[in-house]
Parts: sequence; C-alpha cells; structure tokens
Amino acid sequence: MGAMDTVSRWKITVDQYHKMGEAGIFRPDERVELIEGELIQMPPIGIEHAYRVNDLNEFFVTQLTGRAIVSVQNCVTLPPRSEPQPDIAILRRTAQRYRDRLPTSADVIVLIEVSDSSLRYDRDIKVPLYAAHGVAETWIVDVNAQQLRVYRKLVSGAYSETLTLTQDDSITPTLLPDFKINVADLLR
Amino acid sequence: MGASDYFPRVLLTVEQYHKMIEAEVFHEDDRIELIEGELIVMPPIGGPHIQLVNFLNRILVERVGDNGVVSVQNPVAMYPRSEPQPDLVLLHARCLRSRKVPTVDDVHLIVEVSESTLAYDRGIKARLYAKHAIPEFWIFEPTARAVTLFRDPETSGYRTIVKLTGDETISPLQLPTVKLSLHELWLED
Repeated sequence: MGAMDTVSRWKITVDQYHKMGEAGIFRPDERVELIEGELIQMPPIGIEHAYRVNDLNEFFVTQLTGRAIVSVQNCVTLPPRSEPQPDIAILRRTAQRYRDRLPTSADVIVLIEVSDSSLRYDRDIKVPLYAAHGVAETWIVDVNAQQLRVYRKLVSGAYSETLTLTQDDSITPTLLPDFKINVADLLR
Repeated sequence: MGASDYFPRVLLTVEQYHKMIEAEVFHEDDRIELIEGELIVMPPIGGPHIQLVNFLNRILVERVGDNGVVSVQNPVAMYPRSEPQPDLVLLHARCLRSRKVPTVDDVHLIVEVSESTLAYDRGIKARLYAKHAIPEFWIFEPTARAVTLFRDPETSGYRTIVKLTGDETISPLQLPTVKLSLHELWLED
C-alpha cells in the first residue's frame, strides 16, 4: 500500500471553484476544468484544434442564428463537482440567453469535443461525465480518424446509442429534429 | 480511472492556498492540508490520538516554558507548495508575538501522532519535512507504544531514523533541557 492510499484528496465543489475564480486564484490564461472535484490542467490548444473549433463555430453560428446559442470553449456547470469547458456547446436559446446564470446540462442540445491528442480523455472521461449529468447528446470530432462519433439516447445515466459517422453520412440532433447536417461540413 | 490519469491536476501554491482561505472557500471545520500542491483531507482522529496530543501539549508547554511556543494542530508554511498541519510544532520563542503563519525557519521540532496514517506520516510527511530542513521530526504511535525520531535532514530524507519502544528519555535536539520519558506517555490498558 502506497503512502497516498491512506489519505484522500479534497474534492472541490462547483461553489468552491467559483469562489476560487472570484478570488483571482487562477491566471487569466490558465486552462483549467473542474472534473469530479479535481482541478485538471488542460493542455495548450494546438493549431489544428483551434482551426477545427473556429470552423465548427462558424458553421453552427451561421446555421443556428436566432434558434440556438453557440458557446465556444465556455463552461457548462454540472453540480456538485464538475464544470468542464467543452469545445462547442449548442444551447437552448432562453429568454435571458445565460446573462444571469451558467448553462447546465438541461440547457444543452449538443456538446461537441474536438479531439486530436485528447481522444481518450474525451471518450473515457468527458462522454461518461456528460451522460451521467443528463446531457442529451455529445459528439466527438475525431480529427485523426476524420470521423464524427455520436453519443446519445440516455438510459439511466449512460448513452445507449453510439454512432461512428464519416464524410458521406448525415446527422440530425435529437433536440433539433429539423436540422439535418452533412457530416462532411463538420470535418472540412 | 479519473480525469487526472489523463491530464495533470493543478498544483496549488501556498499563496493560492492562502487566497482560498481568505475567500472562504473552505468551511472552518474542514480538515485540509496542502501537501506538494495538493489539497489533502486529514482523516478524522480517534480517542487515543486526541489523548496523546493533549498530554504532549500539556507536558511540552510546562517544560518548554519561555524557550519556545507549542503550536497544536496549526499550519506551517513550506514554500512554494506545502502547508501541513502537524499535530504539534515546537516553534522558536519569537513566534509567540508574531501574527504570521510560521515557516520552516521558525521550527525546532514537528510531532505527529499516528494511528491510521503511519505510512503517510513515515513516507510523504517525513520526506517533505526533511526536504524543508525541519531539524527534527517525531512520530508517536500510541497503540504500538513507540516513538520514531527522524534527525539529520537531507534533501532526500532524514539520515538518522531511530525507533524507540522502551522507557528511554528523549529531548528535542534544539532544546536539550526539555526531557520526556516515554513511560510517562503511555496509558495503562
């Protein structure tokens, strides 16, 4: 038994995380996510990742203006102990448009992660986290495989449907049934 | 597997930890210490632990007198990334009138009473204290009726480690007039 096995790490809550933010504990340029009570240091954003996120942003904003809110690399709060920053969050367009509160899982139409070096983390940690918190649908843009991985149809806190789509496929978000997307537009 | 198996956890500095305390991130009753940048939950302590800490406090305060300050379950700042809360710290006498969090330069001796946390205290804590040149570290095990003295700190650990289980008399290296005989510490069962 290792020495660290006899003690445990403190798990930070969303409220504590917000207090830390207000107290200026993180540098403005620091990329941090709160995942299950742990403060995780995110790696720097690479060129390919930035390009893909910007391109997806342009696509969704153009297609969804006035219908949904496209939130880029902002947090979604998943109390009590998680507050990740998905690459793209497509959110319900509420009257207040999140002026007064952070988006929660109930506000999400689709969360999208762009995965180049972070595929395992996104697939093994983020997708199950989002499912456990009731995010209706999560997509991974797999940059290296040029595939779109779709996770949806929640059954007891897990996604029951997993699709792996390529250039020639199309996809329609469950919560935007009239918005049919050519997968090629997400992988360009 | 958790998120930190994929990407590193954020390691906090003592300054960030102090800001968290000022911002009231923690509840007054939260038992936390900062160890090498990580917030570690201090396990709840049991009756034998409480009794021995109180007893050591009593005799150390009596015998140290004006030659030092006995600080019980209070923090010691170890820059840049640690601020443990040992069971007892024997501080330099000047600390009695200081409002600053004590630092390693203020310490004569650190004492931990160890039951469930022996591996942690002997491993991570002893390495941390040696690295910060804490002159002396004692671990008392009330159940085993043993005390281990760690002396001669080096960057990698204490060079001299002596475990005593008899009725020896021990003194802090830096306050040799203060004497504790081990037989007075242990309760009859």
